[in-house]
Amino acid sequence: MKKQIIVFVFGMLLLSPAFAAGTHYEMRVDGLACPYCAYGIEKKLKAIEGTDKINVDLNKGLVKVNLAEGKTLTDEQMTKLFNDSGFTYRGMKKTPLDK
Amino acid sequence: MKTNYLTGLSIVLLTSAMSQIAWAHDPIFGVGPHVLFKDGFEVATEVESDKAGDAKEQALALEVTYGLTGDWAIGVDLPYVFKEEGNNSSNGNGDAGVFTKYRFWRKDSLGLQETAAVLLKGITNTAADNKSPALDKGTTDAILGLTYGYEGRKWYRWASARYRFNGTNDAGIDRGDKILLDFVGGIRPNPTGYKEVDIVWLLELNGEYGQRAELGGAELSNTGGTEWFVSPGIFWTKRNFAIKAGVQLPIYHNLNGNQQDSDYRAKMVFEWHL
Repeated sequence: MKKQIIVFVFGMLLLSPAFAAGTHYEMRVDGLACPYCAYGIEKKLKAIEGTDKINVDLNKGLVKVNLAEGKTLTDEQMTKLFNDSGFTYRGMKKTPLDK
Repeated sequence: MKTNYLTGLSIVLLTSAMSQIAWAHDPIFGVGPHVLFKDGFEVATEVESDKAGDAKEQALALEVTYGLTGDWAIGVDLPYVFKEEGNNSSNGNGDAGVFTKYRFWRKDSLGLQETAAVLLKGITNTAADNKSPALDKGTTDAILGLTYGYEGRKWYRWASARYRFNGTNDAGIDRGDKILLDFVGGIRPNPTGYKEVDIVWLLELNGEYGQRAELGGAELSNTGGTEWFVSPGIFWTKRNFAIKAGVQLPIYHNLNGNQQDSDYRAKMVFEWHL
């Protein structure tokens, strides 16, 4: 019985990334020069349901965010979001989180 | 009538440097083209201290700004003023201001933003009256400005010009308009990452030219003139909180007649983006 429990728990641990699956987005954004000014981006991304782990790489002009499974971000949505934040959106790269 | 005239004249001499708007990563004493993200709020408390001869003025102001769009912001500022002239002192509400700024041009590239904006500010006539020294100027003024900014990961530069339309006060004195020019450079010695403490050092050159005031068409001799200041300053920011501080040190005076030259002006701002 003890052995079966250990196998079950181990199996659940192996499967857990699949439950946390989602998408990692990297957005290329121009105009990012100061960290203080980028706060508006964080605030607006946080307002989108399912976003997590928002970060900004100012030197590379990248805004990174994880998005929960079943949710998507579109170019149109990001163009508006970054324009409302005072910056210029250039494009995005998507990577599945469970790979 | 004489009392009114003297009061009016003292108000003319109150140069009211306490009419500056604090805006995000903009110069401390000059203005820049920064606005605010759409639906964002900026709340700032500002402490300013000015001295010219035996005249001292301190102001504590609350400023609230709202981002209508990513390029257009509006706001209000509510100052409380402490004033001292010789042995007399007074304090009370200063003139409330309403302002707007529109960024009409923006050029973004990797780690760099160049922008230009126009701004308009109305300075109401709402200060506490019947105070000695006077806190109210007895009229509504307006400031129209144009500003350019270059903001990189390491270097900053700004230039701006403002024209202040000063009204005619209750004593019948046309207070004379003012032109303000600012040239500013800044450096971020260590370009830090997002959510890290970020420090930018500034050096401003601020010029002010005031026309002579007039009463009944006659120019008043002890009014108007030119002053230039050099102003070191600092931005300290962390995520959505900023502390900005600077001091204006006069380097050139050419004030008309018998007026007290500025000794210094100092300012500190605590600012939150919400």
